[in-house]
Amino acid sequence: MSERRVTFTREQIAAYAEASGDLNPIHLDDDFARSVGLPGVIAHGMLQMGILATVAAEAGGGPDSLRRLFVRFAGMVVPGDTVTFRAEGGGEGKLDLTALNQRGEAVLTKAAAEYVR
Amino acid sequence: VAAVAGRTYPAVKIEINADRVAAFATAIGADPDDGVPPTFAAVYSLGVTAPQLFGDEDAAVDFARLLHAEQEFEWQRHPRMGETVSSRGRVASDISRRGMRFVTFETDTTDQKGAPLCRSRALFVIREEVRPGRTPAR
Repeated sequence: MSERRVTFTREQIAAYAEASGDLNPIHLDDDFARSVGLPGVIAHGMLQMGILATVAAEAGGGPDSLRRLFVRFAGMVVPGDTVTFRAEGGGEGKLDLTALNQRGEAVLTKAAAEYVR
Repeated sequence: VAAVAGRTYPAVKIEINADRVAAFATAIGADPDDGVPPTFAAVYSLGVTAPQLFGDEDAAVDFARLLHAEQEFEWQRHPRMGETVSSRGRVASDISRRGMRFVTFETDTTDQKGAPLCRSRALFVIREEVRPGRTPAR
């Protein structure tokens, strides 16, 4: 089992925007985010998936071992939210993955990984 | 809006740049010394091809109404630092139902010899605009 607890910050979201090239203003500009009905800036789903993949890689023999990763983006993550990412063995070469916020709500669902040794 | 299922886009080449990989690894809390993080595919696979879909006037994907609903990556192997890879996107399916449009966008990434590296499968959900004077289909 591998687990990581991450409290999201604007700085981390901005760093991911820059590094990934996903500069959608919903991740960077509170006023813009509010104008499209969001509470303010939100974290990229792909940032959440990236952290989850890192945890899955720890549990499954390293990043080069991952062969498949799936997530459904189920809930918003805003700065200040704390998400617990966890990977647990789900049978031979498989991992069950979860990502729960501080209220116990799943922000990623149906998450799973496969890996090879 | 015309469905564009089956549409393919020209392949895009991208070099796996060490500085960019290091910045990406740091942003997701991975160790930059561990090599190319698996979800760097967000850059070399989905990242270089999704803009082709979003910029396609025929596809008419309204970026402001778009939600990235699901994402899957499958890897044959992970790219190496400094390697140049080639990614080709296609619309695998495009279905409208009850004011929502579901676009499955697949990207195949290959190495310079044409051997497969990664397949990205993104599900985008787009809320369709209800135009004034037009009754929404029931």
